[in-house]
Amino acid sequence: MISLVSILKRFPLTIFALVVLSLPFWFPYIGGYVGLATKMTIWALFALGFDLLLGFTGYLSFGHAIFFGMSAYTTGLMFKHFSAEIIPAMIIAVIVGTLASVAVGYLTMKRSGIYFSILTLAFGEMLHSSALSTFGWFTGGENGLTLPDLRPVLFGIRMDGLTMYFVTAFFLIVGYYIAMRISKSPFGLILRAIKSNSQRLEYTGIDVQKYKLGAFVLSAVYASVAGSLMVVYEPYVGTEYLHWSTSGELVIMSVMGGLGTLIGPIIGAWFMLYFENVLSVPLGEEWLLVLGLIFMAVVIFLPGGFVDGVKKLYNKLTKNSADVEGK
Amino acid sequence: MSQEPMSDVMLDCYQVSKNFGGLQALDNVSFRVKEGTIHSLIGPNGAGKTTLLNVITGMITPTKGSVSFNGKPLGNISPHEINQLGMAKVFQTPAIFPEMTLLQNVCIPALAARDGAFKLNMFQLLSKGGQIESFAEETLVEVGLQGVMHKEARFLSRGDKRRLELAICLAHRPKILLLDEPTAGMARHETEQTIELLREISKRGMTKVIVEHDMNVVFALSDTITVLAQGAVIAEGTPDEVKGNPKVIEAYLGEEQE
Repeated sequence: MISLVSILKRFPLTIFALVVLSLPFWFPYIGGYVGLATKMTIWALFALGFDLLLGFTGYLSFGHAIFFGMSAYTTGLMFKHFSAEIIPAMIIAVIVGTLASVAVGYLTMKRSGIYFSILTLAFGEMLHSSALSTFGWFTGGENGLTLPDLRPVLFGIRMDGLTMYFVTAFFLIVGYYIAMRISKSPFGLILRAIKSNSQRLEYTGIDVQKYKLGAFVLSAVYASVAGSLMVVYEPYVGTEYLHWSTSGELVIMSVMGGLGTLIGPIIGAWFMLYFENVLSVPLGEEWLLVLGLIFMAVVIFLPGGFVDGVKKLYNKLTKNSADVEGK
Repeated sequence: MSQEPMSDVMLDCYQVSKNFGGLQALDNVSFRVKEGTIHSLIGPNGAGKTTLLNVITGMITPTKGSVSFNGKPLGNISPHEINQLGMAKVFQTPAIFPEMTLLQNVCIPALAARDGAFKLNMFQLLSKGGQIESFAEETLVEVGLQGVMHKEARFLSRGDKRRLELAICLAHRPKILLLDEPTAGMARHETEQTIELLREISKRGMTKVIVEHDMNVVFALSDTITVLAQGAVIAEGTPDEVKGNPKVIEAYLGEEQE
């Protein structure tokens, strides 16, 4: 147990990469399948980026579906009107998502707390409804953007099955590496200080507004990559990608996993999708109720999420064994 | 007012007024802080001391009048820009980063001093970043907080939190330090320790403005004292001059004796 923890601490990235890369091979034994593993990995990337905003700075955005959705639509439109090659589609999609986040972030980050959350929610809803109405002529309106018979390719290689999974896994592992580096950088330290005491930070000579916007845009880049990958995986853009419930799910998985820990939201995302797709079968129609209860239990008894729970359990175990040895 | 040459004036408040609705918090306040001195602002409750400090640090904008720092007017610039010019503030309740370790607390101002108000250094490792950590350690030792550097700041006693806040301010190597009631809510022995600490820091010759309630602190530390009452300056001078001023006794000391 102790040696396992020390290995985890010393080689977090290697262990993480091994788990992610091996997932499709052992996942079937616990009821999963490659497609679900891909989706879980995409959502993990989305949640990981979100942690840099919510977990680090404490700014609760209810509008991250904006970037996920805009990027998904852009990817779909690129496939439809340009080519089925994923590289140009993804690049343009991420650029669109990032630019949108600069604009939305600039306006919403002027406020904090509940006002910030409401503003992001309002932006998201505005965009969702305009995608269904005003922009319906190119977004496909309520039907979503359908891409019949489209098979996305990477240098001519069909993106499906394990190929798709490993491309997604690549993004998650690189994304995790970047997030870890940020976490240990001066930039990351200052983001965490925003959550801790933003007034002190301002009076310490730091331009808090710029750092906040930096975190917002950074998390939106992750959201854009995730949104784009979603359409590569499943060439169809559902209107729910822009819907606030997508933002809401993101918040729930982040909180459940453990904010500010990077790995927590990834675990939260994996858990939620696994629950939704595998554990829901034996639970039948009551699965959402059970998920809700789990969420409540975590928030009430484990405010630090699953990661906090594991830490507490580990401390208890090592403490107990130390006590035994002491006696 | 004083007719000294401008060259050694570090902070210059000129006819500052501030109205909150119908309330005149500051009424034509002018005072100058000379470089290298310790200047105290005293006055009874509601005299406008904290408001004046907030005007100086850019938290609130004055209705009238101006503040300049080393000859540079401070109108319409944000608190972090004022800080980057070399002005640090110690708050009434210690303002620290409670969930972070002491070392991290002090690394932040050290970074602000090195990198300025914003730098997108996402991939540099903090532990390798140009001796930031060792500089933070030195600053913590300076205020007497060695040995607890990896402790979370929220577990410190109130007196130690004040020390930490001083370290946060000092790590930026400010030209002027503003202190808003640094001994508020402290026990007697903590107050004495704080006076001692401020004296030690004074050896570096840093200019200070202290807003304070506790007369022992004021008379022990100050070179110059400005007395405010109902938003206006009623007296200014050395501790001895101010002590003997009948207006001051009436407005402040007299009130306390009642």
